[in-house]
Amino acid sequence: MEFGWPKEHVDYRRRVREAINELLPPDWEETYVRESYASDLQIDFSREFCAALAERGLLTPHWPAEYGGSESEDWQHFILGEEMKAAGEPRGPQYMNVNWIGPALMKYGNDEQREQHLRGIASGKVIWCQGFSEPGAGTDLAALRTKAVRAGDKYIINGSKIWTSYARKADWCFLLARTGEGRKEISVFLLPMNTPGISVSSYPGLPKYGHLNEVYFTDVETPVSGLLGEEGAGWDIVIHALSYERVGVPRYHTGLHALDMAVAALKKEGRFDDPIIRSRAGMIAAQFEGAKLMTYSVVDQRVKKLPPNTDANLSRVAALEAVNELMNFIVEFLPDCLAGGHLLLDDYYRVNVPAGVTGGANEVQLDLVAQRGLGLPRMS
Amino acid sequence: MDFQLNDDQSALVSAMRAILLDHQDIPQSQKLDYCYFHSALQDVLQESGFLNAAREVDPLAAALLVAEAAKIPPVVEVGASALIAPALMPDEVPEGPIAYVDGARLDKPHRNLAVAKTAFVNLGEDVAVVSIDEGDVERVETIYAYPFGKFVRKPDLTRSVIASAGATATQWARVALAAEFAGAAQAAIDFTVDYVKQRTVFGRPVGSFQAVQHRLVQCSRLAKGAYYLAMKAAWSKAPEDAMVAACYVQSEVQKLMYDLHQFNGAMGVTTEHLLHFWTYRLRALQSETGGAHGAALDIADSRWGAAGDNGRREC
Ligand SMILES: Cc1cc2nc3c(=O)[nH]c(=O)nc-3n(C[C@H](O)[C@H](O)[C@H](O)COP(=O)(O)OP(=O)(O)OC[C@H]3O[C@@H](n4cnc5c(N)ncnc54)[C@H](O)[C@@H]3O)c2cc1C
Repeated sequence: MEFGWPKEHVDYRRRVREAINELLPPDWEETYVRESYASDLQIDFSREFCAALAERGLLTPHWPAEYGGSESEDWQHFILGEEMKAAGEPRGPQYMNVNWIGPALMKYGNDEQREQHLRGIASGKVIWCQGFSEPGAGTDLAALRTKAVRAGDKYIINGSKIWTSYARKADWCFLLARTGEGRKEISVFLLPMNTPGISVSSYPGLPKYGHLNEVYFTDVETPVSGLLGEEGAGWDIVIHALSYERVGVPRYHTGLHALDMAVAALKKEGRFDDPIIRSRAGMIAAQFEGAKLMTYSVVDQRVKKLPPNTDANLSRVAALEAVNELMNFIVEFLPDCLAGGHLLLDDYYRVNVPAGVTGGANEVQLDLVAQRGLGLPRMS
Repeated sequence: MDFQLNDDQSALVSAMRAILLDHQDIPQSQKLDYCYFHSALQDVLQESGFLNAAREVDPLAAALLVAEAAKIPPVVEVGASALIAPALMPDEVPEGPIAYVDGARLDKPHRNLAVAKTAFVNLGEDVAVVSIDEGDVERVETIYAYPFGKFVRKPDLTRSVIASAGATATQWARVALAAEFAGAAQAAIDFTVDYVKQRTVFGRPVGSFQAVQHRLVQCSRLAKGAYYLAMKAAWSKAPEDAMVAACYVQSEVQKLMYDLHQFNGAMGVTTEHLLHFWTYRLRALQSETGGAHGAALDIADSRWGAAGDNGRREC
């Protein structure tokens, strides 16, 4: 056991930071905070930014060499994610491409699909969206009702998806649809978003624009070649694909950054001498530090290829606790941040409004740890 | 970064576990007490060199042992001997057990003082090293699961003084209490998880209720975070990491106390149920070295500069 960063990781982080500094326009923060990383503007920008990252070998470094990566280890991939999130995620939706859509295609795609998609993803110019959730299927994803019916050499898809982030600008959808009546008779389709019969409508929401979209599928035809893996293999694919996302967003990293911003704002107002405020800030820092080490322990397990366990879920629970404390701190001591007083803290707050919901509700994380981690009995 | 124990660390922890296993029982006559100080185990640890791990290996090895020792119901003094003493007196081994005493509250009861042969009295700037003779302290009745004692006469704080060691003592007292917390909390959680698996209500195990499950997961989050933070603070030897570890554990004691006792029902308030041997260790650690608030203020000073200082210090 030891907690140091080896030189190669320190150098790598520096390289990523340099790239971010060089590639982001001077007005990045201003534009970013006004628009959010899921906005149309940012999604368009991500095509430029990710292409430039790709040229520097910083888009898909953890991928195998045959798909344009340099097979770097998980630590580097994770450092990359931390730095991107801290910068406001200039990769826009493309973090999904490199984190799990690409790897899922490598594992389950046929030669043609790999050839067609992986190069595009590795070029940094293609936008995907994730079409899983439906109005009647969120946490209970297997309740989804969007249907794909085989008709000769194609499938015909009908139904709708909801909360489909980035759908307005996406080129492709990683779509889950029902191909049988059994609960888990579900398949994955790689569907071009410009296919006739697809329409998207968007809603405003607390976490800014771009996340809350609904996608409708009316007699959408897709060739059988758009099926990923076998028909009915969708459930396994999704479980596997999302396991790449186990560690989730490095919330401690953005959290500590936001906490520093909040302290700076309080200092500017001359209010950071108040011992109560100082103490609260110190406690939140400690919580994030705890969540950080728990997350790093999961990365370490992954690097060592240890069998998956529920530590990743536990680290998400830990980070969420700290995020909630920080959101509360911001509103309690800097209320005007949410009323035009501090755009970056407003953004932090708003991005995190659904932090306990996105990527799997917190209660589900807690269930998983209780039952698989602590071995407590399932409710019969 | 490596979160797995290396071969040497594993061997050390296994050896410690083997010794603890042999000494984990509480004699029948003392089963109902609030605290059982295991003097025979204390002697074994002292003689076998375990308490010297920080000097012979490194403070991380010592912190691992502190956490292990806190997992058994009997209590021994490991934290001060294994972590504070080597930092204050690298070339000398003071006689143990050792009590860490807050000089500003000298007349109050302190943890382990009833059994201590040496006290480190933190005077703020300096640390006084006090030898304790028979009759210098008296044992104090307490619900806390440590042998608490207080000085019956004012100790001589001038005979042996380590100058400018106050901050170092606070730092390592924090590491020690966080490591001790991590071990005791994990043991209390494991004990409670076992209990809720076998205790049934309404025809099903208590542990099958979601309200119970989720709170136990939160408890285990606290213990896991505590463990890594304590070990990191021991590894880095950085005062900031010690503040963070202490702050994290001390601010969470209340949540653990409530939930763990709650899920053990009325059994949890009896002394025959063992739970209190761990939970009332956590309570005893809650206020040491300034408690969560004191540690949090130190974190604020260290991360963002002292109050009134608008500059930001590097940390
Ligand atoms: C900003 C944002 C972006 C998103 N982006 C996408 C996307 O790109 N693609 C996509 O497919 N989906 C996306 N989602 C949807 C997200 O995956 C779902 O919101 C999530 O899976 C929860 O589903 P739900 O909202 O339907 O909540 P429900 O399933 O209705 O659950 C509501 C609440 O019930 C509680 N609950 C649920 N199950 C349990 C249980 N077993 N025990 C105890 N309590 C329980 C939880 O508190 C939960 O939050 C996004 C959501 C948000 C907010």
